[in-house]
Amino acid sequence: MDDWGDLLVAANSGDGRAYARFLRTVTPVLRGVVRAKGASLGEAACEDVLQEVLLAVHLKRHTWQVGAPVRPWLYAIARYKVVDAFRARGRAIELPIEDFSDVLAADAGPDPTEAADMAKMIAMLDDRSARIVQMIGMEGANTAEVGQALKMTEGAVRVALHRAFKALAALRERYVK
Amino acid sequence: MKTEALIEALAADTKIERPILGTLVLWLVPAIALAAMAIHLILGFRDDLLMSLFTPLSVMRFALTAALGLIGVRLALLLARPEGRGLARLWPLAAVAAVALGLLVWAYFATPAGGRQMALVGKTMVTCLVTIPLLSILPVTAILMSMRNGATTAPALAGFVAGVAGSGFASMVYAMHCTEDSPLFYVTWYGIAIMMVAVVSTLIGSRVLRW
Repeated sequence: MDDWGDLLVAANSGDGRAYARFLRTVTPVLRGVVRAKGASLGEAACEDVLQEVLLAVHLKRHTWQVGAPVRPWLYAIARYKVVDAFRARGRAIELPIEDFSDVLAADAGPDPTEAADMAKMIAMLDDRSARIVQMIGMEGANTAEVGQALKMTEGAVRVALHRAFKALAALRERYVK
Repeated sequence: MKTEALIEALAADTKIERPILGTLVLWLVPAIALAAMAIHLILGFRDDLLMSLFTPLSVMRFALTAALGLIGVRLALLLARPEGRGLARLWPLAAVAAVALGLLVWAYFATPAGGRQMALVGKTMVTCLVTIPLLSILPVTAILMSMRNGATTAPALAGFVAGVAGSGFASMVYAMHCTEDSPLFYVTWYGIAIMMVAVVSTLIGSRVLRW
């Protein structure tokens, strides 16, 4: 638990590699939570929900208070978003908090599921934002390379990337309600 | 999109929002200052404002409303965190309400029977019930706006504490104008005004604080 806190401290002070490690560490746990609750939805839909949770964790990571335990914070976000996501898919579920402590972490498996919702929402962004997210996520480019390719400064790429995630969260809200 | 690709993209976004406390101070302090300025320019501060600060019953108006404001802001900051719902304790607000009601009961017995009616209704009941909600608009909005940047998992409760905090500060500002020093008046009418704002803010919060 403490190393989650250390990673998150580093992440929140701008260390992208620590942040990637944090996300990779919590993802199997969150996937376990989502699958335990939404097995009936199927794996692909669960992966969609997991990605919604990750996006929420990302945009709300400033609400974690340095020194506070990470798990209650993370599970509270997961719980809120999972309930929301299942409600949006027409299933009300009950999610007692204590349920989370004994959920088994789940790996994506040898052939990770391709979630569909995020790609659909990325396609709804303006072309440049969509391109930035795709280049970094799928093509493994860094912000400097994206900047060169799109004739933008690296700073402008960072701003656009951040705005793209906020826009994705807003799109999701609209798309869900 | 594969989750690993999403993680790659998320990790490249190192921009992080400002902590809620910073946003809240940035919005709330000017909101309260503007409310005070509005009172000063439109209704005017009471002439004996300085003197009133040495009258315990008058000072209690500032103390009680400031307590609601500060406790409310503390709760709002806590509730802005996802796990805050389990950590927030409402009893300090109830304690302030209990002190206010105690003061009301005390004033009832301390006021001669003939003067109670007059002390209760006062001369400015309508002004009070209109002005406090109007003055609350800015502070409550400031708190709600900064909480939108947070991640509350209890939107209605968060809206409620934002309403109590904002109208607490608004009442504190209004008390600089108001000359009604009897608890029979101010506990009753300030109290009702604060409750009205809190109810409205609860309804607003349950809508705008979802994320």
